[in-house]
Amino acid sequence: MKLEVKNIHKSFGGTEVLHGISFTVESNNALGLLGRNGAGKTTTMRILMDVFKANQGEILLDGKKFEPSKCSIGYMPEERGLYPKRVILEQMIYFGRLHGLGKKEAEESSKKWLNRMGIGEYANRKLETLSKGNQQKVQLAATLVANPDIVVLDEPFSGLDPVNSQVLKDIVTELIAKGKLVIFSSHQMNYVEEFCDNIVIINHGNVVLSGKLKEIKREFGKDQLVVGFEQLSGDETRQLLETKYSEYVQVTAVTKSQVVLKLKESVEKNDFIQAMAKNGENISFVGNYEPSLNDIFVEKAGDEV
Amino acid sequence: MRKFFVVLGFELKNYLKDKTFLIITLLISVFGGLALFLPSFFDLSDVLPVPAHEGKQQISEEQEKEKEEEVSIKYYISDDEKLIPKELWVEFYEEGTYQFVTKDKVEQAVKKHESDEAIGFVVNSLTDVDYYVMNKGMMDMDTVTMQGLLATVYQMDFCEQNHIDYATFTQVLEPPIKINENILGKDTESNFWYCYAFEILIFMMIVMYGQMIAVAVTSEKSNRSIEVLVTSTTPVSLLFGKVIAGAIAAVIQVGAIFLCVFGSYAINRDAWGGLLDMILHVPASVMITFCFFGLGGFLFYAFLYGAMGALVSKTEDISKSVSGIMMVIMVVYFISLAQLSNVDGILIKVLSFLPFSSYSAMFARIAMGSVSIIEVIVSGVILVASIVGAGWVGAFIYRRGTLRYGNPIKLKNIWKE
Repeated sequence: MKLEVKNIHKSFGGTEVLHGISFTVESNNALGLLGRNGAGKTTTMRILMDVFKANQGEILLDGKKFEPSKCSIGYMPEERGLYPKRVILEQMIYFGRLHGLGKKEAEESSKKWLNRMGIGEYANRKLETLSKGNQQKVQLAATLVANPDIVVLDEPFSGLDPVNSQVLKDIVTELIAKGKLVIFSSHQMNYVEEFCDNIVIINHGNVVLSGKLKEIKREFGKDQLVVGFEQLSGDETRQLLETKYSEYVQVTAVTKSQVVLKLKESVEKNDFIQAMAKNGENISFVGNYEPSLNDIFVEKAGDEV
Repeated sequence: MRKFFVVLGFELKNYLKDKTFLIITLLISVFGGLALFLPSFFDLSDVLPVPAHEGKQQISEEQEKEKEEEVSIKYYISDDEKLIPKELWVEFYEEGTYQFVTKDKVEQAVKKHESDEAIGFVVNSLTDVDYYVMNKGMMDMDTVTMQGLLATVYQMDFCEQNHIDYATFTQVLEPPIKINENILGKDTESNFWYCYAFEILIFMMIVMYGQMIAVAVTSEKSNRSIEVLVTSTTPVSLLFGKVIAGAIAAVIQVGAIFLCVFGSYAINRDAWGGLLDMILHVPASVMITFCFFGLGGFLFYAFLYGAMGALVSKTEDISKSVSGIMMVIMVVYFISLAQLSNVDGILIKVLSFLPFSSYSAMFARIAMGSVSIIEVIVSGVILVASIVGAGWVGAFIYRRGTLRYGNPIKLKNIWKE
């Protein structure tokens, strides 16, 4: 399966909030939709799910118009979407049946997922009696009850403690391994880095960065090194480099014991290392710099901070 | 269609599992039914105008005496000039219930009486009487009785002065006329009360269940389950499922109450001596009409209530959102009640064809007025078509309204988008 989002525009009350969002995601892959609050992630997901209609653009699944109601799709909205005063099993069966399952099938699947989430004992309790984290797990179970081929998760990790996050991580990993097409948004970059082969960063309704995460990282780390000296702190290292090696490099970031630096134009990595060796510097570490997704995100979406 | 039934089943279960719904239905049904059995088990002839139980012991002389002793003074009368003969006082007022006092003490006697029920009369002449009462009741008949008494004295005086035999005079004045009623159409007098009761009932059903449907829609919006629902099925299935479930729940609740109350009355009708026939002995044709037009009107408004519920995000905003519909329902209700005594008038005829009022007006016309079968069919077809129309319009508003959160949405903005 290949899902293509092409040039989506959306306006609310005359104000355009999405200015041509495009991305592609395929089965067996997870796409991380990133962006700051109000960037347009949830609106993009809602358009994808046909909750909102786009003013312009199209969404294709394997080259044909994508219609969520006719596809096997599980959607977990950002602000959750269950009945607090209804019994958990009852509403999960309801959602399963709305996705085409028979009553018995829906019941079995509901119980299976609740047990998988470790909350099987709460099946006959009202949702509102559960903790926030457990409610979140019920929500995910309801999303997956009909075994969808496409899974859209809007901020699935928000509000989860590390133990519950781990359960969720395992399930998402399992979904990807099973060949599902997973799209999810999150502010927690470590989760996105862990699951997603592809990312899309949206800022002010525009796609500011998209592509394979590995390539993006490589591109962002190009001509950048991480250096550390024995018995020198990060600041001392920066001072040393700025004093003695300013013709080779420019320090871009400082950590506790290391610095990130960028090679100056026409300077090769080996020239710089040889220069340090020649001066007898006590190097503890030198290597290629690979930026974290967080660094990339801040650089691309942190324009106003 | 399958998803519609899934929604319907889920929503209906919601109503039927609701403890308040169950308790209210059970309590009204059981108590209503049991209350109507009372005259069969207990002799209520002392408190209600129902037949006495067979074998009931005649009131003993002692009891009679006790009863007499219980009679207390209620009327304080001043007839200083003795204009009214004593034997007529006895004829018009139970002995022991009245006391003659002087003119200046009547008002004081009424004020000082232990209850507020005391009455005072000062007979100034046969055509002029002062009437004293603490609180005048809606159904006060005391002046009518006094008027009858004075008219009798006046007529007797007239007869005496003109040498006319009073017995002959009264026979001429009020000849015994026997009218044999042959009602070929409807008896408005006997149909009036159950028609009145049904008008109130359908009004309550629409308002109560309509509100419940609106709350159900708004709740899904506020708990965001609507986002998952609209990606799983169509708005038409969702709204129709909700509304039909509400209608079925209403029919179950009202049906259970009707079954107990009407069934109980049918069993105990003889014990009641037909006392409640005017409300509980309803012809089948009227009941069928009520079911069709009542349910039709209910569905018509229920769709609109559902749509209005979709315009707001918080349940506390619902009353504002549905105020327009409420206004229409109230106007129809008051006009229908006011027109019950004129069911063949032009106003109620017009209302009986309009979908927002036919549930009430056509029902009243069928129960109490003259209406042709063609008119009923035309009104029925308009109502059914309007229900379908309201359903589609409702689903359109529902789809557009449910996904817009925040402040209540104005209807005109829904169409603009």
